[in-house]
Amino acid sequence: MSSQTALQTAEELLKPYAMEMIKQEEDFRLDVLLSPDQLHEAVKALHDARWGYLSAIAGVDHPAPVIGEDANASGTVQEKGKESQVEVLYVFCQGAAVLVLRLKVPYTHAELPTVCDLIPSATLYERELMEMFGVEIHGTPVKDRLLLPDEWPEGVYPLRKATIIGTTRSGSEE
Amino acid sequence: METRKSSEKFVVPIGPQHPALKEPGHFEFTVDGEIVTGASVRLGYVHRGIEKGAEDRTWTQNIYLLERICGICSHVHATAYVLGVEKLAGVSAPPRAQAIRTVTAELERIHSHLLWLGVAAHEGGFDTLFMYSWRDRETVMDLLELISGNRVHYSTNVLGGVKYDLDTEKMDAIRRGLDFLEERTHHYMKVVTTDETFLARTRGVGLMTREQAEALGAVGPTARASSVRRDIRIDAPYAAYPDFPVKLITDDGGDLLARFVVRLKELFESYRVIRAILDQMPEGELTTRVPRRIPAGEVISRVEAPRGELFYYIKSNGGEKPERIKVRTPSLCNWGTVVSVAVGHKLADMPMLLAGIDPCFSCNDRMVRINRGQGAQFWSWENLRQYGIEYYR
Amino acid sequence: MNTTLLSILALLIFPGGLFLLGYGLAYEYVDRKLVARFQNRVGPRWFQPLADVVKLLAKEEIVPHGVQRGLFIFLPVAALAAALTAALYVPMAGQVPSYSFNGDLIVTIYLLSLLTICMGLAGANTIDRFSVVGATRVLTQLFSYEAPFLLALLSPAIMAKSWQISEINIYTHNNLWFVLTQPIGFLVALVGLMGKLELPPFDAPEAETEIVSGALTEYSGRGLALFRLGKDVELVIGLTLVAAFYLGGIANPLEFVLKTLALLVVVAGLQSLFARLRIDQTVGLWWRLGAILGLAQILFVIFWRLVLR
Repeated sequence: MSSQTALQTAEELLKPYAMEMIKQEEDFRLDVLLSPDQLHEAVKALHDARWGYLSAIAGVDHPAPVIGEDANASGTVQEKGKESQVEVLYVFCQGAAVLVLRLKVPYTHAELPTVCDLIPSATLYERELMEMFGVEIHGTPVKDRLLLPDEWPEGVYPLRKATIIGTTRSGSEE
Repeated sequence: METRKSSEKFVVPIGPQHPALKEPGHFEFTVDGEIVTGASVRLGYVHRGIEKGAEDRTWTQNIYLLERICGICSHVHATAYVLGVEKLAGVSAPPRAQAIRTVTAELERIHSHLLWLGVAAHEGGFDTLFMYSWRDRETVMDLLELISGNRVHYSTNVLGGVKYDLDTEKMDAIRRGLDFLEERTHHYMKVVTTDETFLARTRGVGLMTREQAEALGAVGPTARASSVRRDIRIDAPYAAYPDFPVKLITDDGGDLLARFVVRLKELFESYRVIRAILDQMPEGELTTRVPRRIPAGEVISRVEAPRGELFYYIKSNGGEKPERIKVRTPSLCNWGTVVSVAVGHKLADMPMLLAGIDPCFSCNDRMVRINRGQGAQFWSWENLRQYGIEYYR
Repeated sequence: MNTTLLSILALLIFPGGLFLLGYGLAYEYVDRKLVARFQNRVGPRWFQPLADVVKLLAKEEIVPHGVQRGLFIFLPVAALAAALTAALYVPMAGQVPSYSFNGDLIVTIYLLSLLTICMGLAGANTIDRFSVVGATRVLTQLFSYEAPFLLALLSPAIMAKSWQISEINIYTHNNLWFVLTQPIGFLVALVGLMGKLELPPFDAPEAETEIVSGALTEYSGRGLALFRLGKDVELVIGLTLVAAFYLGGIANPLEFVLKTLALLVVVAGLQSLFARLRIDQTVGLWWRLGAILGLAQILFVIFWRLVLR
């Protein structure tokens, strides 16, 4: 079955970079955990092998469990030894096969390399990620605001859980 | 006057308010005479914060919220969502429900493509085609109203099934409507492929090779017009598509004409599939039970919207509300193609190029609820209300 | 005394002035209604063009920042004045033209062009980008259709051996309709008129989906109303000229109404048949096809006159 073989190919391609691989056969889905510095190489491997296409980049916020009211989004609070993180999912698709590259970056080092040099269409997704989750993408061609209004304050990332619209709990000001 | 002299570049802004755009977006085309030498895009004028809002609503409430992402392809958003949630919950809707979902989705595709045909023709200054295609679109709108009682937000989907049944009377009405539309579509096909002035505006315009389309991440009819073989209904069939397969429509033209042809051919395919489903409509229940709390987990749900692949990522914590919903709409993918392909074309081609991908601004702009305030402040509803009271005192 | 009064009447009431304005508005209505019906729409009510003008006149006229103020106000007036003046030389409503001299054909054609030139200048006068692009297109289009249009009107003139519109009118009236003997010239003249009036498919200078309203983007209120009236007047004069030259002349008011209305139906049909041409396609069409056809027509007519007679 082609989707099956596609997944196997992806598995082999990404073996050198992966920290962990989770395969869900019935959904034709493969989750690959990567460290952020391996991202570019992994995407390059996929790109060189012409494996699928980048379907989306999704961010998921994993704030550290918060105790008390003094919490802020700058990542200085570490409860129970756990850091606030943003998980970034690079979803590649080929036919029915879905490949998810998962990376976790802490708020303190919310940085990722760009993949725009390989996949030009990633620019809009990367800009969205930067605006919504405050993940700095190094080397992305355009860094202008894409979606948020011009007067939106710097350092407020709306899709982080700590940002509650209507108050300024996560804003660096106030 | 100074501004024009001082800068070498002559920038023609299109949007946020512009007759070519039915929704707000902002494009800047740098032109040299009539030739476009650069293009950039700024979105976000209809941001409503739906992704953030979805985290604050129950699983059921979210159907209605997500349906409102887009007024044209509302059903397909709800379908992507309910399919994902049903998968998380480990249930699947009964076959009849899946069939009705698919019928509604295809009717929606017909309505969307006819709407696009009209808009694209209007951008090219062919208002007669615009008027006729929109008149005929009323037929399919009436059919959707017949099924669901609504012309725009059909709200057909519920978690675990559908709300509305199709009886023989409605099915006959749909068949009659389709017969009329099919005849009209043949006519449009003839107009689009033979009218000389229209061909002059579409043939060879916005040429995008297969390699470009793939590199720029095009999806849907835009990609298929550049012979990219990609259609979620075929690649990863969902709802009733495994039982009623559709045929992949591609064209190797890669220009605007090919985009017209692909969409019109897809209409014929939609007519065929709807008829096939109506003829062999499965019997049975309309809904299954879905628990109020969805088990923890995450799912990626992909469906083929009229404009291309619609991507949903749904994550549950096992609660009554989703942890995260990520929506990637097809229009977002296709912007890249416009901005790159625009360079070297004439300014007069820009509206048609923009329309050629069938953009949907509402779809793009969905992430953040904006409380516009003065300076860099957030205004809560209370503040705004207070401000309003103060202002009018 | 009497002649002075008559002249004033001719200028203000008939055929210039009031009559022409009203008639122009009526033709705008017919045109809009016909196009609407061809496009399966309901279309406007009969007083809609007048209501539009009244509304525009009642509105505040905004003089945008960065324009030469005097020019901004003067140009619409000049445009309408030129169009109205042109009416004095054509056999309006089947009557003998109010003024007539040898060579008034050329004067009329240039007066009609003045409207277009005024629009171009009006666009170039503002610093709005849409206006500037529109102005370039207006003038580009002017240079493309003007020559073929002129050539198409010249061949009847050559046949009639006169540069005087009234004489050509009489000549065409006494001969076989030129639309039958010179169909190419008729077509070029009619389509040239559409280009002159910026009707679809030659509406690139005011393509709303690209450059909003083209050269007139910055105009509102009175200025816009005057430009629109000017166009309506030009529509009537243009139709009259083509009818007088190609449809066997205009001898009485009834002929005038019937012939110009018939032309208007054709023009409205052509408007709803085509997609908008890009400005480069318009220029290409006119110079590659229109001018050649017009020239061929003229050469044929000259040849006919010299050799066969």
